[in-house]
This record gives sequence, structure tokens and C-alpha cells, in this order.
Amino acid sequence: MTSTLKGITLKGSAELVAEFFSFGINSILYQRGIYPPETFTRVTHYDMSLQLTTDPKLKNYLTNVVSQLKEWLFECTVQKLVLVITCLETNEVLERWQFDIECDKSAKESSAPREKSIKTIQEEIRSVIRQITATVTFLPLLETPCAFDLLVYTDKDLEVPEKWEESGPQIIDQSEEVRLRSFTTSIHKVNSMVAYKRTDSV
Amino acid sequence: MAEGGDVDWELCKENIQPLRRGRAISALHQALSQQQDGPSSAVNQQRQAFESELRMYEGEDPLDVWDRYIKWTEQTFPQGGKESNLATLLERAVTKFTEEEKYHNDPRYVDLWIKFAENCSEPLDIYRYMQAQGIGVTQASLYIAWSEEYENQGNSRKADLVFQEGFKKSAEPHEKLMQFHKALQARVSRQVLMNVEDDSDDEPKQPERVSLADLKHRGKKKAIAPVNRTGSAVRSVSRGLQSLGAPILGNASNSQLVIFDENKTSSAGPSEPKLESWVAPPTAAAKENEQRPERWCDVKMPQKSKFGRTVMAPPPPKPTFQPFVEESDQPPTMTPCKINPAVNTVLSSRKPCREETPLKRLQEHHQHQKEAESGKLQEQSMYCKELLLSGATEFCFEELRAERYFKKTHQDSQKEVKSEQDQACASESSVC
Repeated sequence: MTSTLKGITLKGSAELVAEFFSFGINSILYQRGIYPPETFTRVTHYDMSLQLTTDPKLKNYLTNVVSQLKEWLFECTVQKLVLVITCLETNEVLERWQFDIECDKSAKESSAPREKSIKTIQEEIRSVIRQITATVTFLPLLETPCAFDLLVYTDKDLEVPEKWEESGPQIIDQSEEVRLRSFTTSIHKVNSMVAYKRTDSV
Repeated sequence: MAEGGDVDWELCKENIQPLRRGRAISALHQALSQQQDGPSSAVNQQRQAFESELRMYEGEDPLDVWDRYIKWTEQTFPQGGKESNLATLLERAVTKFTEEEKYHNDPRYVDLWIKFAENCSEPLDIYRYMQAQGIGVTQASLYIAWSEEYENQGNSRKADLVFQEGFKKSAEPHEKLMQFHKALQARVSRQVLMNVEDDSDDEPKQPERVSLADLKHRGKKKAIAPVNRTGSAVRSVSRGLQSLGAPILGNASNSQLVIFDENKTSSAGPSEPKLESWVAPPTAAAKENEQRPERWCDVKMPQKSKFGRTVMAPPPPKPTFQPFVEESDQPPTMTPCKINPAVNTVLSSRKPCREETPLKRLQEHHQHQKEAESGKLQEQSMYCKELLLSGATEFCFEELRAERYFKKTHQDSQKEVKSEQDQACASESSVC
């Protein structure tokens, strides 16, 4: 246990980042009301209470995505993860949460753990999730029923696995963009950003 | 921190009112940075510009100025409050156009009304008033807001009826109304389902005491309040619970269950929103905590203790647990924002009487106008009262005069430039 507290390896970093995405996506889905709030349960993680979905289908989907993501993180082949919120009826993109991932590929060669305690990393993750929660102060209300989609940008030579398909970037035209905090495990760095439809274009 | 100033909004998130349409982040940054070093003259200037535009506007669409002014206010004063003057602004805007038939079903105007209603303590009254006046009766947004209000109060049946009314009036856009109606139905049915599940869980349970409902003595200390509850007191507690919605089974006092008959109520339908004329403002009878006038002399304060002295509350016992403190917790390095004194206006606006509600004022205004039309009104102001008071703040004569003067000089200078150009052209042509 003592060794994990002091340094971090590639595998551990991949796991931490994947875990962050699992919690992050869950809290976005909860905060933005994509799924009814009754289908979430409260758990405590990172020393804060978070909402996790109990919807079996959604749970299944998310575990699939996150485990695939973990693999890619371990191989350092993933560049971006994007959560797109679209209007269910018109298919218009209303919100786009983008997480840019910078991988330090040199970690693949040397297996020596990096100097960064799990505590500081979790602290950084916590502040990102807090900020995600705080975005309700300026995001527009999603008045229509919405669906969400996850896009993952990987290196070009990667084969598209089963259950995944190629897609466009789903950019919002005339959007307002807000950068959120970032965190780093010293192997993976994650920059977060949210884009939403501009006020006067509504 | 790389983000630097970008975290401003996060530090002040409690002071930012969420808007339906969201906020422009640039405006938010600007507003928050201004908050720290006082309202800048730019904001005051812009407000003044809007105010004078309100008075000097001569075009076809005076509502447009109000609409822009209010939207600007919303974005510029994220914390709302008195400083923003939003409530007054909305009220003025809304009263100004009650007589203008052409605006009655203008989506912008209806939006202003809804915002106004949401600012009031009794939004339902406002919606009823709107219906009676025929404002927004063909706009889906009115019915949506109205129904949301009912739903928030837990009356989903009336919320549904409001939608029916909207369909009857064939409010536009129809799809939007349909969509929100469907969403409401989905929410209600889900709630019913959940309640059914809950009930099946709860049934074996005994009626429980509600926390904070009654005083109870604990530990070795003597109880100060009487704790022996008589039968009627017990019953009253359970009644209180019952009114909260969950019927308690197994209580002897209320073995008679009233069974809800759907058909019966729908045929009676006393609660259906009917189009009734607005006769009089709601009476003040509904007020709570009002004391009847009575003699106050010779009245003694009831003594609380048997020694004739007021008993000091014992100091709260020390908690037996260690409060969790994060190790890396540091005292915050800066206080995010301080509230600045309001914009220094020389002419302060008159404070409305406590008794008045916005709706009441509205009705009075309405009545005033009617009286004025029928020529009953004795008063007649011999100055341009309308212009001075029409905005959210009061103008003085000089301001108006200056505004006119600047406009005139502007026009004159433009004319001069134009005539010079014309002359130049003419001279050119003569040369040719």
C-alpha cells in the first residue's frame, strides 16, 4: 500500500483517469438532467458525494466504454473524449463536453513509477468535478428531452473495435466555450472544456 | 493556476442566478470583475443610454428597447437583487403595454410577463390575471410556465388542466406544448409508480413520530415543556402528517378513508381554470401571523421559569466526534466578492409600501387608466410626467432637455455634412 501512495505507474494512471471519466460522465448526466434524478444513487468518492446511475442499460454502456477507454489509456492512443448532448427530436447538438487527453508516451518504455501522490491527483480530480457541478450557473436550461453520445478520438492507425463506429465531430455552430480546470497524473493530462449554444442565437 | 481569472465564476457561483437561456461567459466575466472593483462607469453609462432610449424612442416597436434593456440587465447583474433593478424594470415594462393589443400575444411580451410572474410571490395570480386580460393566451409558453408553477406546488392535476386549456386555445407553437405536456405526463406517471412502490414498502411500518414536530425531553435534564400528550394532541400530529399526503394506515381516529372518485370530480370540475373576469384584487384575508388589535397595557409577559428569572439556555455540549478537516485545507486566500453599494442615484426611487404586491399595483394602474379614459380622473399633470417616470429610474427635466439637445445637434451636424456634400457635388457638376 505504501508504494501506491508515493508514485504512480502507467497502469495506475490509466485506471485513475478511467475512473475519473466514469464519475465525470455520471455527474454530467445527472447535473444536466439527461436521465431522471430518481435513477441515480449517491456514493461517496474522492471525499465528496457523487451521483451514480442505477439504470442497468446505461450502467452497462458506461462500463463498456470505460473499460475500452482504460485499454486505450494504457496504450496511450487516446486523444480526446467528448460527451455530446443532443436534442432528442431535432438531433441538434446543444452541449459538448470535451476532455482533451495528453499522454506522455515515454511512460510506456520506462516502467518506473512517477513521483506524484494519489492524494494530490485526487484533489485535482475533485476540483474538476466540482467545477462541472458549478457550470449550472451559466449553462442554459435544457428544455427538451435530450440524448447523449460519447465520442473518443484516438490515434489514426487504431482499429475500430466492435460496438464502436466512426462519427463526425458534432461541433456546435455559434457556440460559447468555457475552459474548465485540468488535472494531471504526470502521465496523462486531462483538459476539460464545455461548449454550449450561444445565448442570442436561441 | 493556469486558468487564472477564469475561476472567478466558480468562486462566485452562489451569487449567480441561473438563467433559462444561459449566460454569455464573456458578460459573466466582465460582470464579476466589475463586482470586485465597483460598478464601472461603463455599466452606468450603458444603463443611462437605455433609459434615455426608452424615452426618446420613436419607432414602431417600443417593446424592443425594453426587451433589450431587460436582457442586458440580466446578463450584467448576475446576482440579481436590488442593484439590478430588474423587478422594477419588469413591472414597468409589463404595465406599460397592457393596453397595447398588438403586443398581447407577442412572444417577447409574454416572456417578460412570465419573468415578472416568477419574480412575484404569487405567480399563479399573475397567470390568471394574464388569462383574464387576454395576454399570451395563444402562446404555448404561458401555459408551460403556468403548469410548471402548479407542478412545483405539487398540484399535477391542475398542471394538466392548464395544458388542456392551452390546447383548447390552440396555443402556438403546438409541438412545444405537446412536448411539455408529454414530459409532464411522464413525470407524473413515474411519480405515481414510485409512490406505489414506496407504499408497498411502507405498509408494515407503524406510524412514526416526525422529527422536530414536538418537544421531547432527552437525557437526565428536566423537560421544560410539557411532554404529556393527550389523545387529541396525538391525533393532531397524525392529522398534520396526513395533510402532507401520505395516509397513515392503522390509526384508529381516521379509519374512514375517503376514496377519490375520478368521474365525480371531473364532472363537478370546480377547480377548472375558467375564464373569469378580474373583479377585485385578492383580499388580504389570507394573511398569516396577523395580530388583532387589543389593549397592550397591563399585559404581562408569561414567565418562563419558576424562579421568575429567564432561564439561560445551557451551552451546547461539545460534540463527541472529531469534525473532519481536510489535511491540506488552507484558509481561503481571498474573499471572492463583496457587495458594492448600489449605484449612486441622486433621485432615489420611492420605496413601495409593504402591503402592496406587484399584482395589486398592476390592477390599480389598470383601473386608473380606465378612469382616465372615462374622464373621471380629476388630476391632470401639466408636465411630461410620463416621460420622466417611464423608465426604471426617474429622469429630471434637464436630462430630457439635454437628450433632445444632443439629438438635435447630432441631426444638425449630419444635415450640415450632407448639405456640404451636396454642395460639393453641385459645384463639381457645375465645373463639369
